[in-house]
Amino acid sequence: MRNTFLILTILFFASCEKMLFEPDLASSDPYENFDYLWNEVDKKYSYFELKGINWNEVKDKYRPMLSENSSETELFEVMAKMLNELEDDHSNLISPFNISQYKVALTGPDNFRWRTLEEHYLPEIWTTGPLLNDFLSNEDVGYIRYASFTSDFSDDQMDLVLERFKNTKGIILDLRKNGGGSIFNYPKILGRFVETKILVGHNITRNGSNHGDFAEKEDIYITPYDGIKYLKPVIVLIDNGSYSATTFFALATKAIPNIILMGDTTAGGGGLPNGGQLPNGWTYRFSVSQLLDLNGNNYAENGVPADIEVDFDWSDLTKDEILDKAIYEIVY
Amino acid sequence: MFDNLSFRFLILFICCQSSLILNAQEQLNNSNVENIDIIHTNYYTLLSAGITNPIYRDFATSPLFFRGIGLSLSTAWLKQSDSRERIFQLEIGGAVMFPKTPESNFIQTGGSSFFGQINAFYQQLWKLEALSNTQNNIKVGGALVITQNIRINGALLNNFLGLESIYNLMASAQITRDISRKKEKEINLLLFKPVLKPVKRDLRFLLNVGVLNVNHRPGYTYTYNSEMNGTETGSAAWTYYNYQWALNGWRLQTQLEYIKYLHNGNARSWSYVWRATHVPGRHEAFQMASHQIQFTLFFNSKKRKS
Repeated sequence: MRNTFLILTILFFASCEKMLFEPDLASSDPYENFDYLWNEVDKKYSYFELKGINWNEVKDKYRPMLSENSSETELFEVMAKMLNELEDDHSNLISPFNISQYKVALTGPDNFRWRTLEEHYLPEIWTTGPLLNDFLSNEDVGYIRYASFTSDFSDDQMDLVLERFKNTKGIILDLRKNGGGSIFNYPKILGRFVETKILVGHNITRNGSNHGDFAEKEDIYITPYDGIKYLKPVIVLIDNGSYSATTFFALATKAIPNIILMGDTTAGGGGLPNGGQLPNGWTYRFSVSQLLDLNGNNYAENGVPADIEVDFDWSDLTKDEILDKAIYEIVY
Repeated sequence: MFDNLSFRFLILFICCQSSLILNAQEQLNNSNVENIDIIHTNYYTLLSAGITNPIYRDFATSPLFFRGIGLSLSTAWLKQSDSRERIFQLEIGGAVMFPKTPESNFIQTGGSSFFGQINAFYQQLWKLEALSNTQNNIKVGGALVITQNIRINGALLNNFLGLESIYNLMASAQITRDISRKKEKEINLLLFKPVLKPVKRDLRFLLNVGVLNVNHRPGYTYTYNSEMNGTETGSAAWTYYNYQWALNGWRLQTQLEYIKYLHNGNARSWSYVWRATHVPGRHEAFQMASHQIQFTLFFNSKKRKS
């Protein structure tokens, strides 16, 4: 009797949650996956109104391209095209066989050639973690190349670079083709270039099902680093490959007087992405917030413009006109 | 996620638990505590280790169930008498979880996540004299459970981190059935006839039902949008930025436990623990359940007359 009671109890509770929870929603059905993604974007994407996107029309355009028998590659292609209607590199569909990307950098000119710099400007460059650094113009100018915000650096590494450049007239921070990464790293760098805590922008985040539903504006601050700082002129090089965290960085510099942006407008990426998973197990992300400047203007998603516009001249690969202009601005 | 101090504390806790469990059997038999007696109040220190089979689903990031296997370690302090008992338990657990994805005819979607859990549990029970007798002791009371989930799933990109804080005030009922062997018993195995000595044993079933269910879940978009001010805030403020409190959902917990007492007053038990929680939150629901097989050592530290 005791054993029967024990076995029955275990069997009952071993499957009990299946009765209590809603049904399993895992599905490979093309329509269910399409609708799930469409709904998630509809509920949370942040730039519908700014970009003038009619999301219902997008559904009407792409859903009929599917059938119950659509293959996984066909489903991926249709959903990727749907996401690309957002014209936002923070909107990606990730499957085991492909990752979708809008590739916003291809919509503008290329303004960066690393080999030109290596061959003709930086013969003895130091690799201090992800901070590549060297002197330019008879040691009047310090050059730092930071290729990706995904690369973390230590305080000691940044100390070493800034200490090395302490007698220069200015620093050039090259963020061209920096596609972003960890957003923690941008205030970490900017904190080296400010003397006091400074308000640099605002952020608003979706908080409701209507496309215009956003929470209150949140302030974004840069706090000075409690250690070695560099308060002389800094010129930040940007281009159409500067995205996401680099756009956050570029927008913040607009509020910092000793920093000048030079090159081309950044590629945007002012929304923080939200990640999720579909009923078939693929994952996705898309922007759920908007980055605003100090005056509440919303241009970051389309790119932060340079203070001084300069283009790379591809007819002469021995020169980087953007770097030359930055050196000139610092030295003369 | 953890600062150094928290991480070291966690490692220390796991090491201490493992070491205590492994070496406890000897102490269990060497104790000088006198035989257990129901007229006394017994004070136990409990050490438990369990294998757990958790399942969860977080609608904010995925419609899929994640299922896995993991370990659970806990320590508890139990004050128990025939008429009343109270227990305070601290438990940590970790599991590797896999999404339950539909079968692909192209390339199967994989992935895994880490599911960690910290539980604090306090319960008081009082005997229902009217329903109890010499064989069945029925107690009712209440419990407070605090659960902190820590989920890490890199495939969810910016939402790689999932945290739930769940607080439940629960109504509790427990029935303890005395299944002791009172007399020696001989088993006839034809070739030899072992004699089983008298032993005190209990079969206990505990049910906890949430009556006040509070949770602290991420906001509408889930994204940790204080990332931009990451250098401006402390780690807790950053983590819980935009989190919202909600009073909703339900929680159930049952435990079926077989306890065998030793002559020195200590005891050991095997339990089957089932837990299920539904947390609607303000926006999107979180659900979790677990099945756990648990071994517990009871160290009778002292006893007093009731």
